[in-house]
Amino acid sequence: MIRDLVVRLSELGRGPGEYDPSWSEQLASTLNVWSLLEGFHVLSLMLFAGTIFLVDFRLLGWSFRKTPISTISDRILPLTVFGFALMVLTGVALFYAKPLLYYHNIWFRLKIAFLIVASVNILAFHFRVQRSRDQWDTAEHPPARVKASAWISLSAWILVITFGRFIAYDWYECGKPLPHWANVAQSCAASEHGAAELGETAK
Amino acid sequence: MTMAPQDFLPGLAGWVATLDDTFPGAWVKPYFAQWEVGHILTLALLGGCSILLNLRLIGYGLTDEPPSAVRRGVLRWLNLGIVGVVLTGLLIGASNAERLYTSEAFTAKMLGLAGALVLTYGVSLPMAKAEGQAGGGVRAAALLGLVLWTASLWVFGISKLINPGVWHVIVAAGLIVLFVTRGLTRIVYVAGALALVIGLLVMNQGVIGADDYARLDPTNKGFAWAFAGWILAAVAVQLITSGRGAEGGAFTKGMAYAAILAWVTTAAAGRWIAFA
Repeated sequence: MIRDLVVRLSELGRGPGEYDPSWSEQLASTLNVWSLLEGFHVLSLMLFAGTIFLVDFRLLGWSFRKTPISTISDRILPLTVFGFALMVLTGVALFYAKPLLYYHNIWFRLKIAFLIVASVNILAFHFRVQRSRDQWDTAEHPPARVKASAWISLSAWILVITFGRFIAYDWYECGKPLPHWANVAQSCAASEHGAAELGETAK
Repeated sequence: MTMAPQDFLPGLAGWVATLDDTFPGAWVKPYFAQWEVGHILTLALLGGCSILLNLRLIGYGLTDEPPSAVRRGVLRWLNLGIVGVVLTGLLIGASNAERLYTSEAFTAKMLGLAGALVLTYGVSLPMAKAEGQAGGGVRAAALLGLVLWTASLWVFGISKLINPGVWHVIVAAGLIVLFVTRGLTRIVYVAGALALVIGLLVMNQGVIGADDYARLDPTNKGFAWAFAGWILAAVAVQLITSGRGAEGGAFTKGMAYAAILAWVTTAAAGRWIAFA
């Protein structure tokens, strides 16, 4: 179901001729645009991840202990949100350039999973944890549930960045002889390269 | 003549060729991707610290705190980020040395790194400690840092295949200006920048064919200069109109811009090592 949508996305804008590329293929084969998008995606981490790390450090009592948490949030989070918008815009464009490759990529799937974890954590922090902020706004070491939120945030974003970098590597590419779980986790059987089971090719 | 390390240091070729066969290059090589993640994470950490520290010197961001408090808040993490990025960089570099030895992007990156280190430790941090005031030593370091950063941008800009990466630096500068400008300056600045973006798209997608590289190359270089000029003009207006406050004037703010952008240049050149 999702794959059908991804296929349709990758076919958008294809001309009538046999060798006419789709918009997605045109983007993937540009001389510099794809590289610039990828570069912007990585560099935006300095703004996005770098600032979110420092907000988490404050919640953990590791830095800016004398500054109220509300001040840190109000002053830093607008930068973080702007950085996140850059990450999403460049990320969506990069996905659009090679949608099926990423759809069948285990690291991309893990990245999205932890992106969801990080997002749920943000919502939980914003709508639940933060409600009692008046009680710990100026605390050098906020209560455990606040710290837990910061730990989840730090871990989830580090994993998102890690898996994001691994997408570029072909260790688990569909079509290669892979362990059964990897073929299942990437829906390789549905991919154009199919699923090759590690044990079977040995026989 | 190219600007790769092999052009300046031809005597090192033999040594460079052995690096990925000996410790630590050989040891890192099978885990290149994992060490690369460390490089990116520490880059993000140092970037966030540098952005917060230098934006404060420009007068944006954590303005509730004096610059010295922002320096105290980020210093430990900035140091960790820089030590981490240099250490992981040395390790992945040792496992990939021949690629770097022939890469002009690597030359740009090393010049940028030297400039960024001088601008961070010799200029931004001392200025923040002194609440935005700059002494003679800071001014001397500023000159050295600017020379190194300019040299980095020059190598980046004149080297074929990697020079599109200069757009990263231009866009980063454009975003800082977007953050820190106010009122009419910001409106005029955004309107001009949008007009340039539309002009760039029209020339690339309409007037000149998207695959007519011979004509697009000088056109896009012209646009890069126009963007840089527009941004510099906006910076000049912002520096002049914001005046000389208790926390330093145009020098302090201008050097804070340079400190962030030197790191961006270093990171961008690093990314384009792989693209060229």
